[in-house]
Amino acid sequence: MDYGETEEVQNVHAAIQREKTEPRVGLEPLSIWLIVVYGLAIFFGGAYLGRFSGNFSGDSLDPYAGEQMAKKSAGPGQAGGEQAAQLSPAERGKKIFLANCATCHQANGLGVPGQYPPLAGSEFTTGGSRRPAMIVLKGLQGPVKVKGQQFGTAVMQPWDKTLTDQRIADVLTYERSDWGNKASPVTPEQIAALRKELASHPESFTEKDILAVPDEDLPGGGAPAGAPPSGSPPAQTPGAQPPKP
Amino acid sequence: MKGFTPLILGICATLAFSWMGLAFIPNLQIGHLDPQTDEEGKDAYPVPKSGMAERGRRIYAANGCFYCHSQQVRADYAGSDIERKWGERRSAPRDYIFERPVELGKMRMGPDLANIGHRAPAEDQNAPAQGSPAPAVAPSAANASPTPGGSAAPGAVTANQAPKPQGTPTAVPSTATASLAAAASPPASPSGKTQVAASPSPAIAAGSPANANVANAAPAGPSPPAPATPDAGTTLASLPTDSPQAYSAAWHHQHLYSPRSINVDSNMPAYKFLYVKRPVSGQVSARALKLRGEEAPREGWEIVPSYDAECLVAYLMSLDQSHPLKEVKSAAPAPTSPSPGKSAK
Amino acid sequence: MNSAASATDPTEIPLKAPSSVTDLTAGDVSQVERALIDASTRVPVLMFYTSALAWLLLGTILAGFTSFKLHSPDLFSNVAFLTWGRIRPAHVNVMLYGWASMVGIGTAIWLMARLCRTTLRHPLLLVAGGVFWNLGVLLGVGGILAGDSTGYNWLEFPLYAAITLFVAYSLIVSWAVLMFRFRRGGPIYITQWYLLAAFLWFPWIYLAAQTMLFVVPVQGVLQAAVDWWYANNLLFLWFGSLGLGTAYYMIPKVIGRPVYSYHLAAIGFWSYALFASWTGMQRLIDGPFPAWMVTASIAAMILALIPVATVGLNHHMTMRDYFPLMRYSPTLRFTVFGAMSYTVFSVLGVMISLRSFARFLQFSEVSIAYSHLGLYAFFTMIMFGAMYYIVPRLVGREWRYSSLIKLHFWSSVYGIALMTLMLLAGGLVQGLNMDNPTLAFTESTQSVLPYLRGRSLAGVLMTVAHFTFAYHFGLMLFGLGRTASVPTFLNPVNPDPEEMVAH
Repeated sequence: MDYGETEEVQNVHAAIQREKTEPRVGLEPLSIWLIVVYGLAIFFGGAYLGRFSGNFSGDSLDPYAGEQMAKKSAGPGQAGGEQAAQLSPAERGKKIFLANCATCHQANGLGVPGQYPPLAGSEFTTGGSRRPAMIVLKGLQGPVKVKGQQFGTAVMQPWDKTLTDQRIADVLTYERSDWGNKASPVTPEQIAALRKELASHPESFTEKDILAVPDEDLPGGGAPAGAPPSGSPPAQTPGAQPPKP
Repeated sequence: MKGFTPLILGICATLAFSWMGLAFIPNLQIGHLDPQTDEEGKDAYPVPKSGMAERGRRIYAANGCFYCHSQQVRADYAGSDIERKWGERRSAPRDYIFERPVELGKMRMGPDLANIGHRAPAEDQNAPAQGSPAPAVAPSAANASPTPGGSAAPGAVTANQAPKPQGTPTAVPSTATASLAAAASPPASPSGKTQVAASPSPAIAAGSPANANVANAAPAGPSPPAPATPDAGTTLASLPTDSPQAYSAAWHHQHLYSPRSINVDSNMPAYKFLYVKRPVSGQVSARALKLRGEEAPREGWEIVPSYDAECLVAYLMSLDQSHPLKEVKSAAPAPTSPSPGKSAK
Repeated sequence: MNSAASATDPTEIPLKAPSSVTDLTAGDVSQVERALIDASTRVPVLMFYTSALAWLLLGTILAGFTSFKLHSPDLFSNVAFLTWGRIRPAHVNVMLYGWASMVGIGTAIWLMARLCRTTLRHPLLLVAGGVFWNLGVLLGVGGILAGDSTGYNWLEFPLYAAITLFVAYSLIVSWAVLMFRFRRGGPIYITQWYLLAAFLWFPWIYLAAQTMLFVVPVQGVLQAAVDWWYANNLLFLWFGSLGLGTAYYMIPKVIGRPVYSYHLAAIGFWSYALFASWTGMQRLIDGPFPAWMVTASIAAMILALIPVATVGLNHHMTMRDYFPLMRYSPTLRFTVFGAMSYTVFSVLGVMISLRSFARFLQFSEVSIAYSHLGLYAFFTMIMFGAMYYIVPRLVGREWRYSSLIKLHFWSSVYGIALMTLMLLAGGLVQGLNMDNPTLAFTESTQSVLPYLRGRSLAGVLMTVAHFTFAYHFGLMLFGLGRTASVPTFLNPVNPDPEEMVAH
C-alpha cells in the first residue's frame, strides 16, 4: 500500500500541514454559577446519603431504617420492634377493613339489609373469636341468620389466600372493637394456628359449619377475654412484648 | 497538571477509595454470613444445592436466563413484587450465600424467579427432577443420626461449619422441608432414565454432613411446609385445562420446550435444543413431554428432556426463599422465627 | 508551532499548497515531527481500527438478532448457539471489548504519540497486543455462543478468554508507560490525564473483578456488587475517560482555539475520578444489599453531575462562536454530538437512579436505553469523529465521499435517537405496568413489544450507518481516498472564513 511513504519527508501530507496547533489550555476562572451548581450537587448528594443510609449498617437492608431508629429513640413508650407497629392493631385493621370489607359490610358495619349481614352488634362478630376468624379465613355461603334477620343471597369470599395472618388478625381486632363492639383482640399467632387447622378444609363454610363449633375464643389469645369464658391462658399480646435482643 | 507523580498517585488513590468502599468494606460487613439456624441449631437455611441443581445453575447462566428473569424480591415499599406473589418477604444477603454465580438479574422481561420452586404444587416441591433418588433418601437419612462423616453432630451447622459451595456438589437439594414434602410424595418413576441414570449426582445417597443435618432438623424443627397455595398467578389466565399443574416440573419442561403452549402472550424464547426427539422404543417414556397440537411429535416419536434440561428444572425447583429470616420482616410471620419482624437489632 | 495566521483561521483550509514546502521554518519542523509520529503509529492504529470495525459489524449483526428475537421469540429456537440468552451477551461483549475498547485503544495510541511528541517505539509490541486482544475477544465470543458464559453481566467471557485479554492488555499498557518515558517537554495536557488514567484504571478494575469473582470468589450477593462495580467503572472510568479525553483533544484541535479553562478541566477530571468510580450499586436498588451501599452509589451519581457540568461548560465555552463549523467538519460534528450526549446520558443516569423512579424503571428497558446512550451516543460517536480526523493522516488520503459521511452521521444520529426514545418510552410503560399488581405480568411485556419493534427499526438505521462507514474506511485503507489538499467537508466551504464564523 502506498501511503505516501516514498515521498520526501518534507512533502508531508496536506492534512498535517493545514492542521491547527496542538491543543492548549486557557486559564479562565471559575464561574460563580458553576460553584452554585457544585454546592447544590454536594448538598443533595449528601442529603440523599444521610437520608437513605440505613445507618451504614451491614444489617439494615431498609434505607428508611435510619429514620426508624430516630423515631424509636424519640418515642420511648413505643413497645415492640415491629416496623409496622406505628399504628395500633385496630387502626391497621380499619384500613384493611375499608379496603376489603366495607364494600359489602359498609364502613359503619351495618351491612345491607337482606344482602350483607351487619357486623356491628352481630353475635358472630362479638362472640368468641373462633367463629369470625373461620368465616374470614374460608368465607361463608348459604343462608345465615344474624341479629334475627335472614340473609343468604350473597357469598362471602375466603380471604386466606389474599390476606396475611397479621392482616386478618388486625381486621378482626378492629371489627370486634369498633361500632360499639367490645370483644377480645385477635393475634396473628391465633390466626396462623387456625389457618393450619383449617388447611385441609374445602373452601367456604355454611352457617351450619359455623354453629357446629363452640363459640369460644381462639386458644393462645391475649387480654381479658370478651363475653364467653374460655380456657385460654392470659398471655401477653405480642405487641406488648418487650423487644427481644 | 504540573507533575507526573501526583497524577499517577491521584488516579490510583481515587479508584482505591472506591474499591475500598464498594467491595472491601461490604465484604467485611456481609461477606462471611453463615446459614441461619433456630435455637437448637437445627432447621438450617439456606443449604447448598444438590449436584443436579448446581449444574442447572450453570445451564441457567450459560443460556442467559438472567437477562430476563431476576431473582430478587424487593421490599413492599419498593415495588409490587410481594403483591405479585413473587415472594412473601424481601430477599436478603443471607438467601444467596451458597449461590455462585449469583443470579440477581437486571431485567424483567419475565417474572421474578426467586421463589419459583416454592410456588410449585406441594407434592412436587423440592423434588429436584423426576426420577431423582434424592427425596426418597431424605426420610431414611433422617433417622440415621450418626452421619457417615462422623464429625457432624446434629448441631454442627450452628458452629459455622456450613458446607461451602465450592468443590464437590454435596447435600440434599432442598430446604428443610424436604423430608416432609418427600414423605408425602409418591416415589417418582425411575423408568425411562437414559441419561440421568448414567450420571446420578454422586453425593445424594452418601449422606454428607449437610444432608444428615438437614434431615435431622426436619422432624424436630416445627417449620411446616409453607402454606401450599398453588398460586396460579395471573400469568396463567390462558392455561388450557389439561396442562400440567402450574410450576410443577412437568410444567417447567413444557414451558421451556414451548412457552406459548402454556401462555400465548409469553415472549420467552423456546429452548427446544435442550430436548431430544427420539423414536419411541417400546413404551412411551414417563419423562416424555405431553404436548398437543402442532408442537406434538409425530406418531411413534417422543420428546424427552436432556440431562441439561433436567438439571435446569431441578435448579428452578430448588429456588425457594420462603424460609423466614431473622433480619427480614415477612409478610406472613412464621411461627419458627424467634423474633419476627425485627430488622434492626 | 504553526504560523500565527492559522490560529485565527477557523476553517481547515490549508494555507499553502503541500508541494511548495522547501524552507524549514519552525512550523515546518513541527510538521515534520508530526509526520514522523503519524508514520510510526500507522500500522498499529490502523490495525486496531480495522479490527474494531470488523467487530462493530459483527456486533451489529448480533444486535439485529437480539432485537428481532425479542419480539419474534420463535426464531431459530432449535439452535443452541442462536438462543437469545447467548446472542445478547455475545452482542454486548463484542461491542464492549471488540469494538469500543479496540477503537478506544487505537485512538489513544495516536493521541498519546502526538501529545507526548514522540514517535511510537516498538510498534510491533502493540501489534502483538492487538492480535492477542482480537484472539481474546474471539475466544470469549465463541465461548459465550458455545454455552460457556460465566453468568456475570459484562464479564461473560470465560476465564480463558479473560486471561488472553489481560495478556494483550499488559502488552498495550507497557507500551503506554514507554511512551510517557520518552515524553518531550511541556505540561501534561488534559487528554493525557484521561488517557493515562484510563490505562491504569482498566487493568485494575478488570483484575479486581476477575479475582473477586473467579479466583477468590466473594460470597453471595457481593458477587453482584463486584460485578456492577466493574460494569459501571468500565463504562465511566474506561470508556468515559477515553471518550472525554478524545473530545478534549479533538474540539480545540479542529477549531484551533485553546480549551476554555484549565481550572474547569482539573476540577472536572478529579471530581470525575472521585465520584464516577463510586457508582454501580444504583443498579441494585432495594436488592438484597445493605442500604448504604446502594445509597452511596446514588449519591455518587448525583455528585457526578459536578464533573458533567464542569466538562460540559468547558467544552461549550471552547466551542462558543465556533458552532457553525459543525456544518463543515465531520470530526467536529460527531465529537460535539458525542459530548452533548454525555450530558444527556449523565442526567438520565441520575434520574433513573433515584429510589422513587427506580421503583418503576429498575427492571425495564430504560436501563438498556441508558447503556446505549453512554456507549453509543457518547462514546461511539466521539470515536467516529476521531477516526474521521485520524485516518486521513495515517493513510495520506482524504475521505472519498462527503455524501457517505453525511449518510453515516444522520443514520447513526437518527438511529440512536429513535432507539433511545423507543426504549425510554417502552421502558416507562413496561415499568408502570409491572408496578401495578392488578395487571397480569405479561401485560408489561406485551405493552413494550411495539416499542421494541421501533427499536428494531432504529437498529436498521444504525446498521446502515455502520456498513456505510466500514465501506468508506475500507476505501481509505486500500488507498482509494482522494488525494486533494483540502479535507472532505460535509458541505461546500464558504470562501470567506470571517463570514463563516459569523454564521
